[in-house]
Amino acid sequence: MEKGGSDGTPISLEELNKLKSIAERARRNVIRMLFYDQTIHVGSSLSSIEILTTLFFRYLREGKDPINRDWLILSKGHAAPALYAVLAEKGYISEDELWKIQDISGLLQGHPEIFIPGVDMATGSLGQGLSFGIGVAQGIKMKGGTGRVFVIMGDGEQDEGEIWEAMTHAVTRKLDNLIAFIEMNGFQLDDSTGNVKPKDFLPDVWKAVGWKTLSCDGHDFVSIVNTIDEALKVRAPVVIFAKTVRGKGFPVIENSKRQRSSPDDARKFLLNA
Amino acid sequence: MMQGSSYSMRDTFGKLLAELGEKNKDIVVITADVGDSTRAMYFREKFPDRYFNVGISEQDMINFAAGLSAVGFKPLIVNFSMFVMRAWEQIRNSVARMNLDVKILVTHAGYSDSGDGSSHQSLEDIALMRVLPNMKVIVPADPEDIKRSLPVVVQELRGPLYYRVGREYSPSITTGVDYDFKLGKAYVLRDGDDVAIMGAGVVLWDALKAAEELEKMGISAAVINLFSIKPMDEDTIEYYARKTGRVVTIEEHSIYGGIGSAIAEVLAKRYPTKMRFIGATTFGRSARSQRDLLDYYGINYKSVISAALELVK
Repeated sequence: MEKGGSDGTPISLEELNKLKSIAERARRNVIRMLFYDQTIHVGSSLSSIEILTTLFFRYLREGKDPINRDWLILSKGHAAPALYAVLAEKGYISEDELWKIQDISGLLQGHPEIFIPGVDMATGSLGQGLSFGIGVAQGIKMKGGTGRVFVIMGDGEQDEGEIWEAMTHAVTRKLDNLIAFIEMNGFQLDDSTGNVKPKDFLPDVWKAVGWKTLSCDGHDFVSIVNTIDEALKVRAPVVIFAKTVRGKGFPVIENSKRQRSSPDDARKFLLNA
Repeated sequence: MMQGSSYSMRDTFGKLLAELGEKNKDIVVITADVGDSTRAMYFREKFPDRYFNVGISEQDMINFAAGLSAVGFKPLIVNFSMFVMRAWEQIRNSVARMNLDVKILVTHAGYSDSGDGSSHQSLEDIALMRVLPNMKVIVPADPEDIKRSLPVVVQELRGPLYYRVGREYSPSITTGVDYDFKLGKAYVLRDGDDVAIMGAGVVLWDALKAAEELEKMGISAAVINLFSIKPMDEDTIEYYARKTGRVVTIEEHSIYGGIGSAIAEVLAKRYPTKMRFIGATTFGRSARSQRDLLDYYGINYKSVISAALELVK
């Protein structure tokens, strides 16, 4: 697999600080969205900020040629606010657009749609992104392209039957241009994952099926970068189990099943933090 | 019953699919472990590198095809009608919502999987597909109709499309009738003045048979092959409703939400007409032949004749 410009090089302090400041702005912007809409999934979004920032600002090669660019599929589509905040940092959409999220006059839907610049797959119904990513990765290989496919899933999403279908399929196709993330934040919609359906066995299952399994701290840029760099060297589909925290960095909902908060809480946080 | 064609519906379909693969290098065929039964195997034999059996994984099959489409391939999903319905939500949320060029070509539709019984028989698929935005629905009547339409579907039409084929039962319906397939166009198999029988698929054999019998009773019946269920030829439907004032619909599908319903939607809007609906109202069962099932459930020429007489009297 061809490497992107910065793949495999140790991250510099300068780049590290740049990623941190981008993620910090994106995190604040997700929380700021609460001023305008209180129904967005803030908790799940804050779980994804660092992974999305790292991928968009260090790895994803852009371009119009579908087989010689990288693909980012946010299979956990309810983290759309995080995706939009990072896309705004990247210049795909304007910051003003962020405040119109889910509004009738706005572009940004509650879950990703492909008419939104920078979105590669319409998601929202869980468990579908990996299969789509396998199709993209297989098509790229058949056409001899250099594109790579990154799929971001949640831990709750692993309950879906299609995940099993896709997990076993990717191994059959020997796709080495496919990297999946599973964010292990320990919560799904109704409760903690442990109370709904345990997820501890997941790494063993993915490994037994034939995936190369890696793990990282999903909020630590050095850990994320080192792990992706390692993943890019593997000649097999790779899954990265990223330990993350639901609501990371927003104490009123952090590490709880609470997805949402009030404009007041958001204001207090943004003034003081 | 005599079969009018040398090949059955699925054999005609499978052999033509393999021929189309020759000219169209961007076609890929995807199935979920039913390559032999659907006759996708003919494509597999010629183009193993463009043929994917994803295993018994229909949901993954749909999204995998969607991904292949996103990088420029023309995926053709070939599977049993019923088991594609298992992945309706994937079709809805990925294929239709992103308006991707993914064609869903199904066999074993209607009662055609007679022996396997109600689990395998597909009597709700047209309703489920035609409700989807961006989705086109095509129902060929016989092997001749497959030859007319499949090349157009595969080579000329873009976007999500559902193409409905049966299995062995393939009475000759349109042989000798001269027309080309065009999206959104219905075909008059027989002209008439007193009642219009409208439908699609193999049951048009019964429509024609009923028209013959009705003629002996002095009733002139037109028979319309709708062929393209979505978009539908509203002009032809309205014309024959106005001309005859009576419409009988026939389909190898539930009368709730299917072809008859679609016709009723057109006529309620353009020319309210007295109608009768012939089709399924419940699940099927096992039988040794598709014909036995059509007769058992009254989806046959006798029912069409009764309905026509009821409207005429």
